[in-house]
Amino acid sequence: MRLILIDSLRENRSNFYPLVLGRPIWELRCGFSSLEDKLIAKINPDEIAYFVPDYMATYYRTQVEKPVNDVTMLAGDDLLLVDPSVKAANFDPALAGGQAPPAEAGVKAKGPSEIGINEQGQVLYSRISEKDVGGLTAGSIDQFVASAKASLPNVKCELSTWEYTWDLVLANCEEIATEFAVAGRSGIEGNVEEPLAIRGSKKDVYVAPGAKVHPMVTLDAEHGPIYIDEGAEIHPFSRVEGPCYIGKNSLLLGAKCREGNSIGDFCRVGGEVEESIIHGYSNKYHDGFLGHSYVGEWVNLGALTTNSDLKNDYSNVSVMLDGRRSIDTGSTKVGSLIGDHAKTSIGTLLNTGSYVGAMALIMATGKPLPKHIPSFGWFIEGIVTKGFGKGRLYEAAKTAMSRRRCQWTQQTEAMWDAVFEITSPVRKAAIKKGRRRLSM
Amino acid sequence: MATVEERVRAITTAKLGVEDMKLEDSFTADLGAESVDSIELVAMFEEEFGIEMDEDAALAVETVGDAITFIAKVCKEQGVEIEE
Repeated sequence: MRLILIDSLRENRSNFYPLVLGRPIWELRCGFSSLEDKLIAKINPDEIAYFVPDYMATYYRTQVEKPVNDVTMLAGDDLLLVDPSVKAANFDPALAGGQAPPAEAGVKAKGPSEIGINEQGQVLYSRISEKDVGGLTAGSIDQFVASAKASLPNVKCELSTWEYTWDLVLANCEEIATEFAVAGRSGIEGNVEEPLAIRGSKKDVYVAPGAKVHPMVTLDAEHGPIYIDEGAEIHPFSRVEGPCYIGKNSLLLGAKCREGNSIGDFCRVGGEVEESIIHGYSNKYHDGFLGHSYVGEWVNLGALTTNSDLKNDYSNVSVMLDGRRSIDTGSTKVGSLIGDHAKTSIGTLLNTGSYVGAMALIMATGKPLPKHIPSFGWFIEGIVTKGFGKGRLYEAAKTAMSRRRCQWTQQTEAMWDAVFEITSPVRKAAIKKGRRRLSM
Repeated sequence: MATVEERVRAITTAKLGVEDMKLEDSFTADLGAESVDSIELVAMFEEEFGIEMDEDAALAVETVGDAITFIAKVCKEQGVEIEE
């Protein structure tokens, strides 16, 4: 059975902006792993193919070895097409050797053709057996899904889905605990220097081979497990509270790492961090608080950058994804959504429920920032400007990536050029507003 | 309507606090503009004249005289009426 992940049909993929401007939705993290990893673990497909928005297809082909936007993958096998916002827990696994799946009420990964549609008419999955594939139009993924919907049995379903980025942040604690149990690892396989204080059960701590825990570190697993992955390094005076996942080759620098953090690979993290996801390759080297936030890749948060994640009146936090309309998150705790390559200056204060666009550059004003900074916006002297333009931002991105031996390629630049155009209307409106404020 | 030169001088004075300036004065070397000031000046000129300037071209302008010439050119290209 071939799993086809589709992130090119959703009208509301902007619900996951700015984090999915430069990646498909299934690459978002929660707990130890990406949404794709969770789907694969549950569905157990023989192979995988991807359909991403056209503007990122060429770039994405340089990032993965599996087929991207290749319509020939829509034939020759049983197919399971899945919207990546559908939670993996909805699926029953495809078992080898013709074993019957467990008697759960989930969607069977294998079986007769059916199209799962929610109340809004959105296709959440399409299970298509090989014998039915030939009768469908396969000129494009859109045509294929439309023709499957029109000709194969439709099933009304209410599957649980990830609706917004903050859903991942809010689920992170529980997901780490679940994935720790599934991983089934505990104990010290890395290098730990005494004195080390472990609170709670030692069974709830895993230090992977190649990881280093310096002296004077506290690992507090009393309220949840701690997983320190290969090559990670925890510097002295760090306190790590579980549930927590520290990714490969990441550094904690005397950090107060409160509960519920997932820190991806190659990050450098200091200061206080609580219930946040840092995707990977990002730096929050210095003091300052980060809470209930999702931080993308190649982000640099300057010293003392601090975000609010709770309003003084304890009301629900709202977020402006498009710079105009506030969306009630339904939660009293939501911090910031920070896009790839964003950079904040020292002393930046981010308001509760802030949106910092990809490639945005922020120079602090001493006051909390507006809640929406558009992608590629230069926030200077209290207004959004064009700044020195995207060319300078690209130069900074190239430098940051080369420091981690990663390459900024032509494909990378072409994708970000497309993102620059996609995000242009929101940015232009913010720049215009800033100009008016200057002339007042 | 004031001329382009008068309007450029007025904005530069408002932003940088410099009353006397010559056409050949450099915004950075002679008038003390920091990089952040340059970005704000571009935004203020755009608002004053109702134009959109390419940021690389605008920030490459060095002197007051060059700014007047550049803005007049952009105004013409974008069909904005000006007094020269």
